[in-house]
Amino acid sequence: MVTAYLLLAPATILLLGVLAYPVGWEAWISLTDLSPLNVRGPRFVGLQNYRAMLAEPFFWRAVAVTAVYFAVTTAAKLALGLAMALLLLRPSRLRPLVFLAVFLPWAYPGGVSVVAWYWMLNPPLITSYSVLAGSMKYAVDGLLGGGAWAFLSVALFNVWRGGSFTAVFLLAGLNAIPTELFEYAALETHTAWQQLRHVTLPLLRPFLALAVFLSFTTAFADLANVWMLTGGRVIFPVIGTYAYWLGIRNGAIGEAAAWSLSLVPLLAAALVGLFRWFDPREERTA
Amino acid sequence: MAQVLLKDLNKKYDEVHAVKDVNLHIRDKEFIVLVGPSGCGKSTTLRMVAGLEEITAGEIAIGDRVVNDLPPKDRDIAMVFQNYALYPHMTVYDNMAFGLKMRKFPKPEIQKRVKDAAEILGIQDLLKRKPRQLSGGQRQRVAVGRAIVRHPQVFLFDEPLSNLDAKLRVQMRVELKRLHDRLETTAIYVTHDQVEAMTLGDRVVVMKDGWIQQVGEPLELYGKPTNRFVAGFIGSPAMNFAEVTITEANGALTAESSGFRVLVPPARAGNLKAHKGQRVTLGIRPEDLHIATGADPAGYTFDTVVDVVEPLGSEILLDVKSGSNSLVARVEPTVRVKVHEGIRLGLNPDRLHFFDMTTEKAI
Repeated sequence: MVTAYLLLAPATILLLGVLAYPVGWEAWISLTDLSPLNVRGPRFVGLQNYRAMLAEPFFWRAVAVTAVYFAVTTAAKLALGLAMALLLLRPSRLRPLVFLAVFLPWAYPGGVSVVAWYWMLNPPLITSYSVLAGSMKYAVDGLLGGGAWAFLSVALFNVWRGGSFTAVFLLAGLNAIPTELFEYAALETHTAWQQLRHVTLPLLRPFLALAVFLSFTTAFADLANVWMLTGGRVIFPVIGTYAYWLGIRNGAIGEAAAWSLSLVPLLAAALVGLFRWFDPREERTA
Repeated sequence: MAQVLLKDLNKKYDEVHAVKDVNLHIRDKEFIVLVGPSGCGKSTTLRMVAGLEEITAGEIAIGDRVVNDLPPKDRDIAMVFQNYALYPHMTVYDNMAFGLKMRKFPKPEIQKRVKDAAEILGIQDLLKRKPRQLSGGQRQRVAVGRAIVRHPQVFLFDEPLSNLDAKLRVQMRVELKRLHDRLETTAIYVTHDQVEAMTLGDRVVVMKDGWIQQVGEPLELYGKPTNRFVAGFIGSPAMNFAEVTITEANGALTAESSGFRVLVPPARAGNLKAHKGQRVTLGIRPEDLHIATGADPAGYTFDTVVDVVEPLGSEILLDVKSGSNSLVARVEPTVRVKVHEGIRLGLNPDRLHFFDMTTEKAI
């Protein structure tokens, strides 16, 4: 009995130290007015930060933007990733090229690709291309409202980079499915669509669920890419960037902690939902 | 119901020539078994019939249609896979109904067919379960049921019993045979197990290295193998082989080996005369050897030493040595012999096999 706990101890200590402590600390400071601007030290303010956050129209806007950002990028990444994974599954002469296309965005350092994208969308030199980029921005912003271009560029970058990850992930999933299941489908289904809908997608379900969840966490926690692509301007804030603004630029660390923790219930609910989906109860108690 | 014609069928992968000039006429309602060691091309042949492998050269016709360029779904075949290939996310009912649903059959028809098939296979109570809730034997039944509901022209079985334990395999073998008698659908069955092949097949096709070695009814293959490979592959324990030299003494041919010397039966002398002075392979099935008695004709007995005794209950297998030859004899369970004991064996002169040493063909 004692040995069992001793054996569990290293993992428990690691989890407590690396996960529980920082999260606990963040939860605590979200209940204080911790700020470098406060010379007297942090004071317990109860749910004050949360009340302020919920009363802030900016918060709701950030939630909406984050949700749309998640939905749009996830749908695009899954579609793109699945298409690339299916292409990579069957041997063909094009396979090495597709492999290259898939791995490159993922393998390339994030910071470098962000700068490349930034320059592509906001050309640093005046050329005929910069005129084109400029008119595209005005066209998009004019059609969808101010900030739409920034949003679109961030979403594009996320899809470009995340789509390849999803492809690799789903390819691993496809390879894990016994080939007879696809062969049987080839014998029995009449259209490629039937096969995709009745066989491939259901068999991929656990992998799709995990891909959605990973996309969920990256979309919600996305700070660096959004920050770099928009040059740190809060034109179209996701929750991450706004929390950064509050904490680092404004020094309202307590409030920023409340903002970032506001994502926890959402993520937890998503996690539960997704696990239910890919491992339904009636199958588990089989 | 349909006949299946394979004409000059060939399959080449980059380096490997997996199926070579296979010609086979599978008759309507026939249960034909392709058997051979792994890599003999039997599965590849089946998969070409199914349309899962492209045909390199030759022609496959199902019924009156050449199906070379037809996709698998249009060939009117139903296949049962070794690993069952059941969809884990579907119930047994949905698994069985899958092919019909995809073909847009009306719902009442699907229900009726699934119900009928489930009844035949005794799996009515399992229809609402998922595959993972089933035992291996039950999964196998579902896989077969899924093929039955399709009412195809041809059933294709790819080693369907290989994943079952020995007892269940014997039971399912009997059921498959009964099922075929009832449905009378042409069936092509692939296995590496010669017992399965012999018990199930109306005719058996023995393959090796991509070539068909022999096609025939089970007892024909057993009694008249056309070459040494078929002789050794069919039958368990396998046929005994011994290198012998054919010599002539006093007008009679004898086969002489390092440990024994037996007469060549007069009925076989005609063919073997041409091999006088040459070495040939003598084949004797274990049941054609027995403990010699006074009733054995002279010239058909020889001395051996018992090496191993394997009492199986219904029979005893004796591993014996005669000179440099190791032979297995299948004898009555009442025989009592000890290891290292010298015994005299007699053989059945009407059932000897001779094979050419170089071509390995039966003489």
